Amino acid sequence: MISLAPLITSQNRDGGWGSQPGRVSSTEITALATLALGRLDTPDARLSAADGVRWLSDRQHDDGGWPVSARVSDATWATSLAVLALDALGGGPDAAVRGARWLLRRTPRRPGFAMSLLNRLAPEAASVRLNWDLKGWPWVEECAAFVEPTCYAVLALKRLRRHLPGAGATERIHEAEGMVYDRMCVDGGWNYGNSVVLGAQLAPYADVTAIALLALAEHRARDANQRSLRVLRAMLDRVDSGLALAWSVLCLSAYGEDVTPLRARLLAGYARTAFLGETKVLALALLALSGGAETFQT
Amino acid sequence: MNPGRRAFLGRALVAGTASALYGCTDARRWEREAVRQTPRSRVAILPASTYDESLVDVVLRGLQLFRLPLVGKRVVLKPNLVEHDPNGLVNTHPALVAAAIEAFRRVGAQQVIVAEGPGHYRDTEDLLTATGLHAILREHRTRYVDLNNDDVRAVRMGSHYTTLQRLYLPETLLDADLLVSMPKLKTHHWAGVTLALKNMFGCIPGAIYGWPKNVLHWAGIHESIVDINSTLQIPRFAIVDAIVGMEGNGPIQGEARRCGALVFGDDLVAVDATAARLMTVDPRRIRYLAEAGRFLGNVAEERVEQIGDTIDRLRQDFRVLPQFQPLKSFA
Repeated sequence: MISLAPLITSQNRDGGWGSQPGRVSSTEITALATLALGRLDTPDARLSAADGVRWLSDRQHDDGGWPVSARVSDATWATSLAVLALDALGGGPDAAVRGARWLLRRTPRRPGFAMSLLNRLAPEAASVRLNWDLKGWPWVEECAAFVEPTCYAVLALKRLRRHLPGAGATERIHEAEGMVYDRMCVDGGWNYGNSVVLGAQLAPYADVTAIALLALAEHRARDANQRSLRVLRAMLDRVDSGLALAWSVLCLSAYGEDVTPLRARLLAGYARTAFLGETKVLALALLALSGGAETFQT
Repeated sequence: MNPGRRAFLGRALVAGTASALYGCTDARRWEREAVRQTPRSRVAILPASTYDESLVDVVLRGLQLFRLPLVGKRVVLKPNLVEHDPNGLVNTHPALVAAAIEAFRRVGAQQVIVAEGPGHYRDTEDLLTATGLHAILREHRTRYVDLNNDDVRAVRMGSHYTTLQRLYLPETLLDADLLVSMPKLKTHHWAGVTLALKNMFGCIPGAIYGWPKNVLHWAGIHESIVDINSTLQIPRFAIVDAIVGMEGNGPIQGEARRCGALVFGDDLVAVDATAARLMTVDPRRIRYLAEAGRFLGNVAEERVEQIGDTIDRLRQDFRVLPQFQPLKSFA
């Protein structure tokens, strides 16, 4: 197992974590670190996680969303991860539900009239191949939807939908899943969100593929999921980074696969590079090694 | 509607939209303090045929030509790192980054940092390992900063080609004494070319603007390039990796095109104009360069003194996508 000490000692005095030790606290990193520590049954981990929950609770905006960090005012994509952390660690169901409702009110930017017309009249002339009618979630307000923020929102809403009767959560999840499948690369797997640009196929990324498969785990028997699982395993023959391995352990555990070899690689990777000091990767690795896949399951 | 007619209508629509978007911009759209243009600029083209140890000497010669005050300074090298590329064509070559680290140290820089904020790919560890840069950073004991996740400060816009009210910029850059843009010489499927100015997209933190930095796409790529460069008001230098560039469907899926040179300069607009000319692209027809040439630097040939080798000797006829054919200067 990876030592908890580096994660606990890199916690800022305000209770949050930054992307590297000493950096300003970030909602994404604090949510993942809190999720990881919340699963570990040691006094230090419990205390640290409680401070993380407090940091998250204190930073929620009145409208339910969370900013990326203390230095940026607008609420963004990181809201989904804060919702997951507060739901898992009891930061008060109201806060998580308000966050989920904030997510339900967010819609991505759609193309303007000219682009919409072009997509309908001459889709072959469009530069990117995607169905703009399917709503996912953007990283930032007033932008198009992309795979990773959509998957985080899907995971958060699946955890919270029991608290959201009549709010349209199920319909929105269904539509967003359709959007994620629409963005799948031609041979399976996902990148940031474009499968074909100007007629050329783009390659998938291991980390995003694992995140997408995790969000779509309810549909594990589908051909698209199975193809993407094969693509992910193939990518892992080359990719050996902490981020890709941690998300893959979380994903493949959710699909019931034996992740023992990947866990070993994750430990070896930490010994080799310490994940370049990236707090997010350290938190994800701890989450993955502590059986954290259930955090994302519904 | 038959496919031919639909394609025609699609092209007409694109052309009409482009015309509306790319219309004339006579009004001054920049703040007084953003002006960097000087009466004349110098750009050096130095021959470099391979990615090996001899690059350190070439980079040193390039730095010496500009007599930059580097002693005791903090220098940030900003290569163009996109994603894993088994063919080694997409990213600034790690051997050039290594040479730059060594050269800046030899001329007295106190601290050299390598920093980048890749536009699509969040897996920094894989990117650094796959490109070979991680080994180089270790060997040279050099710090790497992922600009996507750096601490930020809000900065007032230096110009107003987009409607953005402010930019959040990484503190690593804002605290630097010199920012060195190190792009690879490439065509670009949205902007026409991607060089020292476009490389600054990587200074925009993904944690705030997303992956890709879609805010900038909606704001307009050309407009964003100008606004980012006018807002980054720190001393800058450029070293363009033009040893092997990319033509066709760049910046990711194009083909190799050997040019055999490094391009140096402290006016990034003039560097880009020269690099474009090396690609047989007319820089005055690239919209962001035409606008940047009004206040950020020099595009006009008569205002750029070429030192080192000549454009004529090294120019290559870079293939561009059909929609960028009008950019070609001697096609």
